[in-house]
Order: sequence, then C-alpha cells, then structure tokens
Amino acid sequence: MSQNDSQNLLVELSDSLSRAVENAGAWTVMVDARQRLPASGIVYQPDLVLSADHVVQREEDIVVLIPGGERVSAEVVGRDPGGDLVLLRVAAPNLVPAGAAPGEARVGQLALALGRPSPDGIQASLGVVSARGGPMRTGRGGLLESYLRSDTIPYPGFSGGPLVDASGNLIGINTSGLTRGASITIPTGLAWKTAGALLEHGSVRRGYFGIRSQPVEIPPAGRSSLGREQAFGLLLVGVEPGGPAAGAGLMVGDILVGLAGDPVSDPDELLAGMSGALVGKPAVVQVLRGGEPLEMSVVVAERK
Amino acid sequence: MNILDGLGEIWVSLVERAARSLVVLGNGRNGLGAGIIWRADGLILTNNHVVAGGIRSAITSAGDELSLILLACDPEIDLALLKAGVSALPAARIGNSRLLRVGELVLALGHPWGTPSAATLGCVSALGKAGTSGSGGEIEIIRSDARLAPGNSGGPFLNASGEVVGVSTMLVGGDQGIIIPSHVVESFIDRVMSPK
Repeated sequence: MSQNDSQNLLVELSDSLSRAVENAGAWTVMVDARQRLPASGIVYQPDLVLSADHVVQREEDIVVLIPGGERVSAEVVGRDPGGDLVLLRVAAPNLVPAGAAPGEARVGQLALALGRPSPDGIQASLGVVSARGGPMRTGRGGLLESYLRSDTIPYPGFSGGPLVDASGNLIGINTSGLTRGASITIPTGLAWKTAGALLEHGSVRRGYFGIRSQPVEIPPAGRSSLGREQAFGLLLVGVEPGGPAAGAGLMVGDILVGLAGDPVSDPDELLAGMSGALVGKPAVVQVLRGGEPLEMSVVVAERK
Repeated sequence: MNILDGLGEIWVSLVERAARSLVVLGNGRNGLGAGIIWRADGLILTNNHVVAGGIRSAITSAGDELSLILLACDPEIDLALLKAGVSALPAARIGNSRLLRVGELVLALGHPWGTPSAATLGCVSALGKAGTSGSGGEIEIIRSDARLAPGNSGGPFLNASGEVVGVSTMLVGGDQGIIIPSHVVESFIDRVMSPK
C-alpha cells in the first residue's frame, strides 16, 4: 500500500465518521424539559421521541428542537423510571426515525456518542464499545436485562442521545442516570422493547408475586431431587397474606428454584423473569419443600 | 498490510511531519508550552497565556535554540505571534478550518505535563462560539475529546490530512479541549501584520 493510498484511507475513515455524525444527527434531537442544560433524544417513530427519563423533569412545557432547528412542543406518552427511558409525542409528524445497527454490538467496535444539548448543532465524542453486561439492578429500582459501556465522553446534555456505529446506525441510548457518575448505553433492542411498552401501556409493566426472599445454598438432597446442577435458590422469608404467592399456596420456608421453566438462583434472575408479559397470567413456579420439588401455578399481579 | 496497520503508519508519518514545525517554549520556571512555526520566514504562533510571563527558551524539534521577539499578542482571544531571528524554518501545513465537520478525526500535538511532542487522538466534538475574555466579544472555536493537558497550549491540532486546523488553547472540565480554528489565527495574523 503506497503512502498516498493509506493517506486516502485515513481521510476516508475521518470522512466516514463525520458522515456518521451527519446521518445520525438527522434523528438526534434536543430535549428541553429541565431547569439546567437541555439534554438529547432520538426519533423512535415519525412523531415519537425516546429520551432518558431523568432529563424530563417537567410534565408540561416540554420543548423538542428538531434537527432543522425548529422548536416544537411535546408531551409525555409514558415513562419507565426504573430503566430511565421516557417516550414523548412531538407536534411534528414527519421526523426521520433512527436506523438500528444490524446485529449485536461487539466489544472493540468504533462508536460515537452524540448529543444535541444546544441549538448550536450536533456534538460528538469518539471511542469504542468497551464492555457488554447485564442483567444489572439500576439505582432507580429497575433491572436492565443488558447494557453496554463505551469509552466515549458523556458530555453534559448527552443523556438520551445515541451511541452509533461507524455508519451512524443506532447501537443504543446513552444515559448517566442509571449508575452513579458513569454513563452506560441501553442497547437498541431493549430500548425499542421499552418504547413499545410505553406506547401501548404508558408504563413498563412488571410482575409481582408478593414474596420476600433471600438466596440460599440448596442442600445436597434437594439438588439430587431436582435432577439438575443448581447450587442456589431463593428461600421465602415472607409471603404477603392475600398476595399472588399466598393464593397459590407458597409458604415461608419454601425454596424457589424455577420460574416458567427457567432456573432461578438469585433475586436478579427472578426480577428479570417477572416481565410485564406475565401479568394477569398463571406462571409455573418450582419450589423445594422439605427437600422435594413441587410445582405451583401463581397468577402474577402487576407491581405498582 | 492490515488496514489498521496502514492507518497507524500514516498517523506516525503525519505526526513526524507536523512535529518538525513544533517549538518547545519554556518560561524559565517549570512551565512549558508549544509554539507552531506558522511561516518559514520565522513567524511562530502560540497562546498568549504561554508567553504572558516571558519566554526564556525556545527550542525546535531539531534541537535548535531560537531567539524570539514578541510581535503581537491578543489576550482576548489568547493568541500571540513571535518572530524568530532566522528564516527557512520548516513551516506547518495550514488547513482550512472552515471545512471541519463534527466527528472527523483530529490529533493534538504538544508537551502535556512536560512530555515533549506527545500526540493524542480524538474527534471534533462540537463547532461553536465562545465568549472572549475581557470585552465580551465572541470567536469561533472547536471543541474536541482529544486528551489535552497543561503543556498542550499553543500546540497544533491536525486533521486527517496532517494539516494544522487549530491551536490547542485550553481545557474545560478536565475532558474537553477548546481549540482556536486556524482561520481565526490567520485573521489575527493578517490584523497584526497589516501596515498601520
């Protein structure tokens, strides 16, 4: 490869990155709904904007600045404080929706964090996808099934804005509202799922059993009667009278080991398994009682 | 050759080329700043705050000591122009900063924390304006996520072609650099060099 060719390569790479910013800038908006610096959002559907819940502190007088520079009013469609997402309907019906990146994000791939915290134009920070993780309990009482980290710099007002790949496709939504100080990225798939639930129900429904539990090691006898390699379960230390679990006959002292066919060995797995899709429906719960496995059907309520 | 190796090679050659136009400015205490050989006839550009306390030493990357006089300075936009007593210096290639776009690759050269000719990579984070110190004027600025530190001041900010598109000037909040675009520098030079 000659020097000129490689020089062109470098300029090409640089041009691609600025084009990626330009492409994604077409669906990255400013969300002005708090007292301090405005934050960012992305276009989910032609009249819907997804942003970080913690940056939308007002219910009224929400203003969205769309990429052309026009300020339009917006109203809250739904919030998921636990997952730090909010869906807004804007008084502008023809916005360009974000395009999702194909496939899963990979550690090491180039990424740009974008924000539009001011009318002065799009802003960017360059880095790579640093890690994938999850599930993780958020500081806001929710549970993220998965998340990404990057080494891009989360400048003020970048929350609610996108992490994009080198073509400007959406990898996920950035927020510094879920972990103290640091910024994480909610992957597109999860963000879209939440947005769909917010559009349908106005909130993300989460299942409720009415139990208190703590992780315990399953005694050897219990393990062999289960017939699978599972070292831990959840010991029920409280069952709410009249609650869903009590109604199904669960008792203090039972060790919960499975939900809907999947093993459950810690509280996060239980939380992750109790999605809104279960609400109002019977779910098969597997417990160990006196060392013997039992299956019961619990009609899952909605967590308020 | 792998594409990334190719990119790395070209970065190295751009840095080597640009470093020839870099000057280490010392104030006689511990402070170091950078200067850029803007023109071969000896015009050296740096930040006003680098020279405000006086310059005690100026050394080119070839190791030559330059004797400099201060031609002009503008504290409001933090620029200063110096003149070396020699000519035929390796002048920097100056690019058109009006063509910069958010997201494009940039590389800052300077002497962060006293490390001579260090390079840091980043992108153009924002293009905007900032208030000048003093009279309340405004100048265009570039913001970047390329890591800057004390000692980067006055150093060149290069685009992917290796052209100087700005002068690293200050650090905000620990993670954002403010760069004065080369077109603002050119108009400063035109202003101070034009016959009165």
